[in-house]
Amino acid sequence: MTHPFILSASVTQAELSDPAWAAPVLAQAQSLGLDMLLLGRAGAPLAFDAQVIAAWAASQLTTMGVVPVVGTGLGHPFHTARGLSAVDWLAGGMLGWNPAGPDAAQVADMARAANALWDGWSDDTLIIDKDSGRYLDTTKVIVPDYRGSHYRTRGPVNAMRPRQGNPVLVADADAPFDLAQTDISIAAQGQSAPSARLRLIRVGLDADVAMLAAAHAAGEIAGAHVDLDDAVAQLPQLAAAFAPVIEGRARATTGTLRQRLGLPTPFVSHSATEEAA
Amino acid sequence: MAKQLHLWAFLQGIGHYPSGWRHAGARPADVWSMDYYRHVGQLVERGRFDAIVFGDQLQSRKGGDRTPERLAMPTLDPMALLSAIASVTSHVGLVNTLSTTYWTPESLAERFWTMDRMTGGRVGWNIVTSAHPDTAWNFGDEPMPEKSARYRNARETVAAAQAIWRRLNAERGTSPQQRPVFVQAGQSGDGRDFAAHTAEAIFCPAATMEDGIAFRSDLRARVAAAGRDPDGVKIMPGLSFILADTQEAAMAKDAALIALADDDLCIEYLSESLCCDLTVFDRNAPVPAEAILEATILPREDIAKVLERPVSSGMSLLQFATTYVRTPRGHNVFRGTPEQMAEMMISWINAGASDGFTMQPAYMPGELEIFVDQVVPILQARGALREEYPGTTLRESMGLPRWPADMGPADMAQAEAV
Repeated sequence: MTHPFILSASVTQAELSDPAWAAPVLAQAQSLGLDMLLLGRAGAPLAFDAQVIAAWAASQLTTMGVVPVVGTGLGHPFHTARGLSAVDWLAGGMLGWNPAGPDAAQVADMARAANALWDGWSDDTLIIDKDSGRYLDTTKVIVPDYRGSHYRTRGPVNAMRPRQGNPVLVADADAPFDLAQTDISIAAQGQSAPSARLRLIRVGLDADVAMLAAAHAAGEIAGAHVDLDDAVAQLPQLAAAFAPVIEGRARATTGTLRQRLGLPTPFVSHSATEEAA
Repeated sequence: MAKQLHLWAFLQGIGHYPSGWRHAGARPADVWSMDYYRHVGQLVERGRFDAIVFGDQLQSRKGGDRTPERLAMPTLDPMALLSAIASVTSHVGLVNTLSTTYWTPESLAERFWTMDRMTGGRVGWNIVTSAHPDTAWNFGDEPMPEKSARYRNARETVAAAQAIWRRLNAERGTSPQQRPVFVQAGQSGDGRDFAAHTAEAIFCPAATMEDGIAFRSDLRARVAAAGRDPDGVKIMPGLSFILADTQEAAMAKDAALIALADDDLCIEYLSESLCCDLTVFDRNAPVPAEAILEATILPREDIAKVLERPVSSGMSLLQFATTYVRTPRGHNVFRGTPEQMAEMMISWINAGASDGFTMQPAYMPGELEIFVDQVVPILQARGALREEYPGTTLRESMGLPRWPADMGPADMAQAEAV
């Protein structure tokens, strides 16, 4: 069965760092049925730290995921891995991320380093048994010792593996990078899309929604993405324009962003023999 | 009117006692959930605390290369926790620990600028330089710089960040506090000098009132010597606590908590402190000083000093470990009734031993709930704690001048120079 049409949008406005502006925008985007809201846009200048805004938004997410754009200039992947892990937990697994930066090789290396740090912790590490006093299983933690083209990080990272294993990884064709585990790509018609499990087509508010519905039914796209430059005015327009494909969708009512989008949840379980090897 | 005291909640992990996570009133599995932080944030705000402070490290807990099994971890990124708490609170300050050694001025300035905006002016920066040798390898191939080099870099980083905040505030519109409140915790000579030039609040251990008076007097003198107003710097020593209806019950509760630190936990806790995996040694044999000094990555002379007494007394490794776990990190630990605790806190303030306290609950959130429900009302009735917040920013809660408009010329010059 075809997965329900995915609707995504991005907000780049500087007002996003004003909670009095951001709170109603976030609430409206969620209530109108958006599946993902990108905080920032890869390749465009940002007037805020999108990870902070994602963390602030975590308490407000029920059905919509947030996807901070994370620039390579904003800190070492060790910091990024820690920050995103915490936000994914606080957001109940409703987090994605879109790594970005001027150097595609560095962007991919940042994402690889973060993944290596997250994967150093097994999903079944924690025991937390007050009676026996065992908090975790030490054989379930490995030292990733990641050495890439731009970053070296030994680990383990002092953050648990994220709620979703890895937050949903989004790549934008406007600032592409090449990574096998990319979950979602965003690309315009005719633009070369980064390889990904799901493809969203970048369109405007004037998109031919009937044609998009047909492309979705034919399995050519998983949904659509719209860049907003005036979120307050355009969110209602977006919902109205896409009503034919989003109203009455059989969306999942529970679960993490991965589960809601029909993406696999990576599971890692290290073992004592592996560590010894 | 009585002198007012300031309260901070230091909430790294699941409590101050290494065994605290095993207490019936602890909720260690909840630290992954928003509900836990909503509860804690609103609890602290109800107690009219100035701020929540999350300490931080940039390496995972280990003893040698072994990840311990009985210590609560891992700790989540404080930026994420504090930004999330900001969304469900309205007044409590949020102090984020961030290392000048492993952040650039550009990236940390961007982070705090956005945090100050999203928190409505409630953010503080606990300025640390990082010290643990393991941290370095998480950020590349360069070993941890020497302490003096780290503090030199810290001064340059803070100065550069201030220049960036001025630019961001001019270009984008100002963040409510213009920059975070500067908090510092160094205790060495380097640390105290840095704090005297930079900090607006200082977190320190003070096991006794005399220690508190000595530390606060020393810092106030250093602050004055740096050309700053000593009243613009709040001294906030750590204070852990065990509360019960009677003194005897509090002592019994403390003993029960210590008893939850079983032998294996004690060995792991000491392993972490010495940076050496002690699980491989015979715990009933004398302390293997030679082997520990061979294995540790901490400065050998520091570890040799720690080992001196245990070795000379002939105690076993296990005896050393079980003794060591009883005095976590040298902070003041209060054991008694809510009335006694309020009395003690007021007496410290009146004696000039501190401007307030950095509360370190033995376990979380149960012990903090008891403090807010039972000690806070006594402090308020005695006029020592505010009934309402004076404003909405951390600066206002702490009674600090704005930056830079309210600073005198000497402070301005200092702010530019540090």
